[in-house]
Amino acid sequence: MLSTDLFTQIGLGHYLVLSALLFCCGMAGVLLRRNAIVLLMSIELMLNAVNVSFVAFSRYLGQQEGQIMVFFVMTIAAAEAAVGLALAVSIFKRFREVNIRYFEHLKG
Amino acid sequence: MGRDSFEIIVNGVKMIVIFLMMVQVVPILVWLERRGSAFIQNRFGPNRVGPLGLLQLLADAVKFLTKEEFFPEKGIKFLYYAAPVSALIPATLAFLAIPLGAPIKLDTFEMFGQTWGPYTFLIQGYEIGVGIVFILAVSSLAAYTILMAGWGSGNKYALLGALRASSQTISYELAMGLSIVGVILLYGTFNLTDMVTSQQGPLSFLFQGHTVTLGWLPNWGIFYQPLAALIFYAAAFAESNRLPFDLAEGEAELVAGFHVEYGGFKFNLFFIGEYGHCLVASALMVTFFFGGYQIPLITPDEMLVHVQGLMGAGNAAAIVNGLLHHVVFLIKMAVFVWIFIQVRWTLPRFRYDQLMDLGWKTMLPWALANTILTAALIYVAHT
Amino acid sequence: MTPDVFLFWFLALTTVLAALGVIISANPIYSVLSLVMTMVGVAAIFVTLGAYFLAGVQLIVYAGAVLVLFVMVLMLFDLKHEIHAFTRGPVTGAIKIAAVGLLGGMIVGAIALSANSLMKTENNGIQTVIEGDSTKALGKLLFSQYLFGFEALGVLLLVVAVGAVALARAKGGTHAQH
Repeated sequence: MLSTDLFTQIGLGHYLVLSALLFCCGMAGVLLRRNAIVLLMSIELMLNAVNVSFVAFSRYLGQQEGQIMVFFVMTIAAAEAAVGLALAVSIFKRFREVNIRYFEHLKG
Repeated sequence: MGRDSFEIIVNGVKMIVIFLMMVQVVPILVWLERRGSAFIQNRFGPNRVGPLGLLQLLADAVKFLTKEEFFPEKGIKFLYYAAPVSALIPATLAFLAIPLGAPIKLDTFEMFGQTWGPYTFLIQGYEIGVGIVFILAVSSLAAYTILMAGWGSGNKYALLGALRASSQTISYELAMGLSIVGVILLYGTFNLTDMVTSQQGPLSFLFQGHTVTLGWLPNWGIFYQPLAALIFYAAAFAESNRLPFDLAEGEAELVAGFHVEYGGFKFNLFFIGEYGHCLVASALMVTFFFGGYQIPLITPDEMLVHVQGLMGAGNAAAIVNGLLHHVVFLIKMAVFVWIFIQVRWTLPRFRYDQLMDLGWKTMLPWALANTILTAALIYVAHT
Repeated sequence: MTPDVFLFWFLALTTVLAALGVIISANPIYSVLSLVMTMVGVAAIFVTLGAYFLAGVQLIVYAGAVLVLFVMVLMLFDLKHEIHAFTRGPVTGAIKIAAVGLLGGMIVGAIALSANSLMKTENNGIQTVIEGDSTKALGKLLFSQYLFGFEALGVLLLVVAVGAVALARAKGGTHAQH
């Protein structure tokens, strides 16, 4: 199974694995980090991973729709970042801290 | 030698040459700025070293290189040293994508005992289909060098200057991008070479099926998009942090902004980066609105015929033609660089709220209006 | 090894390493700079996939605007000491890493298993790998078939802009005490 073709023939699978790796990095960030802003960044990372697989599919299936979806994802990611950062700023104003450990008051 | 590796070598050499050109122009600009400011302020300026003070540049370089190397106590080593190095990158990358002269079409010729095929040599680092998007993209990375410098210095003034500079850069990027949309609509392409090509010859355009021609005006973008040109040029001043928008280094408030802690050659690199932005902005201005490398009213092909009339047909004529257009481009660019310098020494600095008001409440709506108006006019003209 | 293959491995390696840097570095400033690196890498990967316009937009939107905001916010907060950068307790952390590893393994395994069918679609299917500059076709598609989505996103952006300004300007943050 593991032949040199794996390294010299770049195909759709390679891009998908790359995208999966990036996605897992982002997910690990969301689970492991406690700084609210780093959490937002990890979410951006996951969205980007999805973008990579969209573009790869668009390229290898010869369809433009994938690239359109990337546009939409980018716009929504930018919107999400804007609101998230505004929230982070107001949280920082209140608690002087953006570590999620310090605002667990909502925990039941 | 294969075709591919030949192309790679040619492009690599071109990149190095264009980069060196850009860096070498900066000392001349510094001299021009100092002499020019002296002229404007009725002083002499540097006139001791060499004829007209031209060797002052060399003296400056020696001074920069022999300065003491120091590192601020509370700085962050990696960011502090990475910032000046990366300051050169955005301007250089952007400059490489701009067509600097008419393409030289070479016929088959003999050299080194070999026949070399017909080859079109572009006076341009690399031709990109989405040239404008590329230039906007790489120049938007300039904000990071400033932020890295500000944070890495571990100095409050530096950080404040960096924050000011980067927020100013991203605010004005909007107005700049929107003003370019009108240009893109006008030419219907992202490709800079195509843009230059569609500005050749005398002014003529299609209006509702009739061709309107004005023989005494060149077919330049400025006549179609005057408002976009104004907004673009003003936003370019803000992008390159030059007066009247140099809030980032307001001496009275922030000492010197993000490069307080930098001295000697590291400061010089920031300096070169700033002038690089001026050069890129001027070159883009020429490319978008003033016909690029074209001689007014004459297309490069017609000019080639004239040159061939003088020199006889052949590769020499083609090369001379290409270089001629390159010189024309440089002259046009020099005019805009001079305006950069002159504005710096004539206008006072804005206040920070005035700066933001100008960007968000004046230039952005006007650029939007320009976009809509252009789209409507193009729709009317093509029906 | 052709240049394309070299480019892919180089970019893939850089991007994944930078992505790891985002979650590993304890200082959020370095996290965000690694994220910039990741974004630039992703843009370069878009170029290798022939999506030139998207690569430019990726740089302008993410690297040029969104992440600059992140950097500025982090620098303004000036978090001197990042205590508890990572999740509490080694056991929960290990469980979470294991969960991520499991998910990653499952995705990669699924791709490996379906690699044959994916390759088949590529070889016989709808075909025509998009070559050259596809920007014009992209624009036509965006402004005809997907016009509604485009307009809806415009409205979303407006709402978000107003909302973000309102949130950030509110005097007491989200927890105003009157």
